[in-house]
Amino acid sequence: MKVVTGVVGNDIHVVANRLIELSLQARGFEVFNLGVNTYLEEFVDAVIETDADILLISSLNGEAEGWARELKILKSKYGSLLDDVVFMIGGNLVVGTGTAEDIVPRFKNYGFDLVFHQVDLNTGLDALEDFMKERNK
Amino acid sequence: MSQVNENTNDKLLIDVGSTYFKMSTSKGVEQHFRDFNKDIFDDLTYKCGDTINAYEKEDVYICSSANGGLSTLIIGISNSFSLKYATNIAFNSGINIIDTVLNKDIDTTSRPSELIDVVIVVGGIDSVSKIFDEKLFNFLNDINYSNIVYVGSKKEAPYLSENIENLVVLPNIITNKLHVEEENLKEYLTNLYQADIMGKEDIKHLYDITSNQIFSTPYIVNKTLPYIGSKFTVANPYILIDIGGATTDIHYSKDLVDENMVTENEYDRLVFKKLGVYKSKESLIFAAKNNEFVYELLAHLKVTEHIFDETSEKATTILMQLAIFLVLCKVSTYRKAYINLKLHALNSIVFTGGISKVLKPEEIEDIVSFFYQKILSSQHNPNIVMDSNYDIWTLGVKEK
Repeated sequence: MKVVTGVVGNDIHVVANRLIELSLQARGFEVFNLGVNTYLEEFVDAVIETDADILLISSLNGEAEGWARELKILKSKYGSLLDDVVFMIGGNLVVGTGTAEDIVPRFKNYGFDLVFHQVDLNTGLDALEDFMKERNK
Repeated sequence: MSQVNENTNDKLLIDVGSTYFKMSTSKGVEQHFRDFNKDIFDDLTYKCGDTINAYEKEDVYICSSANGGLSTLIIGISNSFSLKYATNIAFNSGINIIDTVLNKDIDTTSRPSELIDVVIVVGGIDSVSKIFDEKLFNFLNDINYSNIVYVGSKKEAPYLSENIENLVVLPNIITNKLHVEEENLKEYLTNLYQADIMGKEDIKHLYDITSNQIFSTPYIVNKTLPYIGSKFTVANPYILIDIGGATTDIHYSKDLVDENMVTENEYDRLVFKKLGVYKSKESLIFAAKNNEFVYELLAHLKVTEHIFDETSEKATTILMQLAIFLVLCKVSTYRKAYINLKLHALNSIVFTGGISKVLKPEEIEDIVSFFYQKILSSQHNPNIVMDSNYDIWTLGVKEK
């Protein structure tokens, strides 16, 4: 399966980004890593160009809310072309404090299927694999 | 005559612009205003025949931006990759007129009525298929074009070749890592430019005086930029602005953009196709009048908008200053064009073309300062470098 990944917005966490790429590859995914400082539109466009199955956005400095909340608008621009894509976001998603109970539904409302706030990488990727298995049954 | 050349290892370099001919020999550079009632070749040989006749054909090197350039329509599947990469390659190949269509919107896009020189179809990494469908073919049936090239996913190429007549298929410009691969398309477009010259009555005779390939001027300038340090003290990152009679070109260091684009060349180009001080004067004035800061700028320059109606030397100077201001606006976050440049990080601005013959350095510095203060609220002052003797162009032709 193909995954487009990268770090959204003004965020330069290159080490985390590389770890995510390596972990995805170790699990057998074909990875397209856009790196750090990536705009939301570039992520969606990369999914289109690669015909990816999954978009996995990470955000480590908490700015995801400002950079990722227009996902629904971008998805609607491409219409049915993105119907089968799984949208996932994980990391430290908000600046300041906040609980997963508040944050997860908010990001799902932005258009993400899977949301992981302050959850360790492998737990998040396990959940992604379970989700994909369930969906492809 | 050839003895002279052997002794001096001399070359004759000619640039045919939309407004002027420029000619460089070992004795210096001269320029001549074009007579638009005459064929380019006749005008050139009438004004510079003696000099031209003093050289063998193999010692004459010509570049030109006078054939109007190729008009290009790019059809891609995303703004950030296929359209952006193809546009970037087209600009760097010296093409001035570029329109783009996003494939998902193709059935609702209005059909251009004019003849398009080349249509570029692009999209997807090599493993992707089923990208395009009959909507593309319907669109292509509705428009007039002379050439069509496909530079997208390898897997999609057979399907498109079956359905599009005379389709040229080249290797994908999007690599499997989503980077840009520009060489094949660039070579194709550069060759098309040659073919275009050969087909234009008023310019093809230029091959009567040279046995070397005629390149487009912006392509030559772009090739020169890595060597610019040999002629000027320029601190990277920099931009080079060439304000001509019909268009304005900007060549910029890659460090000034954050875009997801990796190429071997360190400098990219973009063009404002209706921004010039002679042939495109009317559209320049129109753009100026639509800029909210222009009246403040005119006041700063101590003139009124009546200057737009004048044809004096002073009016030309003001138009050139306006052109600088508008171009900087267009590449700043204030007016987003094809790309935004990080102008706060800019160390030098190099000016070439006719502008370097008309404006004094202090007049340019004044406008650049005004732009930084008004638009970017900054005291930043990049170093101004003037290519007053067309060294960039001559260096580029020699390197070529």
